[in-house]
Amino acid sequence: MKPVYIAGAGMTKFGRAEWSLIRLASEASRSALHHADLGEIPVDAVVVANMGAARVNKQTALGSALVDQLALYPAMAEAVENGPASGASAFKVGAQAIASGMANVVLVTGVERMRTVNGLEGTDFVASLSHPEAEYIYGVTLPSLAGMFARLVMDRFGVERRHLAMVAIKNHENATKNPYAHIQQTVTMEGILTAPEAIVNNPPIAEPLHMFDCCPVSDGAAAVVLVSEEVAAKLAGPKVRVAGIGQATDTHAVHDREDPTDLKAVRLASEKAFAMAGLTPADVDVAELHDAFTILEIAESEAAGFFPRGEGHLALERGETALDGKLPINPSGGLKAKGHPVGATGVAHLVELTWQLRGEAEARQIKDAQIGYACNFGGFGNNVVATVLRREAK
Amino acid sequence: MSDKVYGGKCTSCGTVSYPRKAVCPTCRNETFEKVAIEGEGKLLTYTDVYALAIDYETRYLRLAIVELDSGQRATGQLLAEDPKLGMRIKTTIGVVREPGEKPILGLQFVPA
Repeated sequence: MKPVYIAGAGMTKFGRAEWSLIRLASEASRSALHHADLGEIPVDAVVVANMGAARVNKQTALGSALVDQLALYPAMAEAVENGPASGASAFKVGAQAIASGMANVVLVTGVERMRTVNGLEGTDFVASLSHPEAEYIYGVTLPSLAGMFARLVMDRFGVERRHLAMVAIKNHENATKNPYAHIQQTVTMEGILTAPEAIVNNPPIAEPLHMFDCCPVSDGAAAVVLVSEEVAAKLAGPKVRVAGIGQATDTHAVHDREDPTDLKAVRLASEKAFAMAGLTPADVDVAELHDAFTILEIAESEAAGFFPRGEGHLALERGETALDGKLPINPSGGLKAKGHPVGATGVAHLVELTWQLRGEAEARQIKDAQIGYACNFGGFGNNVVATVLRREAK
Repeated sequence: MSDKVYGGKCTSCGTVSYPRKAVCPTCRNETFEKVAIEGEGKLLTYTDVYALAIDYETRYLRLAIVELDSGQRATGQLLAEDPKLGMRIKTTIGVVREPGEKPILGLQFVPA
């Protein structure tokens, strides 16, 4: 396999978008292309990540649409749909094109515009990834799967609601340092958990999870430019290498897993990504995890190998995952506060890591970050892509 | 859906898959006989979900995963006042969703 580098990264501010789906995608793409500063070097391929445009925006064939907006013809182009892991899946497809020698420059853009439909329709669209006969018909939605998972994990490992709140407090705080984040507001333990009015501020969504345990519904786009070693050598910017990618699947229905608290696909995808990179979880300086629900940040931090099973909440409590901790998790604000435009999320993880490894993350910069890890969690854990990035000397 | 919910029992190794699959995850055999997912068991986990999908007019739904005494697990609706993890339940069949005119029947769990 040939080496693959990230030459540029960009995104739109997440939130409620006035722009069309393709305008969002093209703004993030232009920003990434400017960042890469390719000069006359052509883009060979475009891969778009998206989950719901066919249903929510009534638009398909997004690869062709984006090529047209950016006038990148006759570049190869396609869209990748892999549920909430669409972003990192598209990134993987782009990286494979370069690793195989089929392309020298690939633009990977994730985009979602979900706020055009009402909440019920939006929740139903995401719920369509659950098992049609064994889950969906019962009224299963993603928050309900997360609620059942959280109750089991909390019962088994002693995780308490205050630990979940700590994830929210940390990620909201980080998001205030990220101008691209959907929610720019800090929250306190009193406001969301301990004060008498907390139940009003923070109503239940899927017990034991409350509103501040769940990511917002966001519109937005994120993009990266992948290049071959040959192209990377010609560019002026810092070199961020795609050191490892791992992907793993698990049963469609959550109840079908031997141990429903074990995020096996996260574990296996991470092991593969670290093996490919020749690194271990202990080498990681900064991680972006898929905290669509606060409980997932804790559970993924264990399954990815950063902390022993059942101890993620303890590391969180000790401050190890804070911006100034041993392993900062979700400096971007995470899905919790940065927002979760589903198809954009996996790409946005890699945008944040690229900025961190290039030293461009401004107020939330992790000092001397050299190695980054991202976990893009699809389904409810049935399809996971893990990525390891590494800063290389020029 | 009929008045029962079925899994597939592998004709070679006897593993019951629910939901049903085309290939047995244990032995890769491809033939199954229907077996009803029913009986008594225990409550593994549950949630009261307020973030509902379309087709529901209720304020929240109580959803659960149970483990039947046969070892089989299933997701369904929990009809219990004060649920406790590990409590004994039994399966029943009821209307679980009403998209338009044709109600969908499925698994519900009640205290055993």
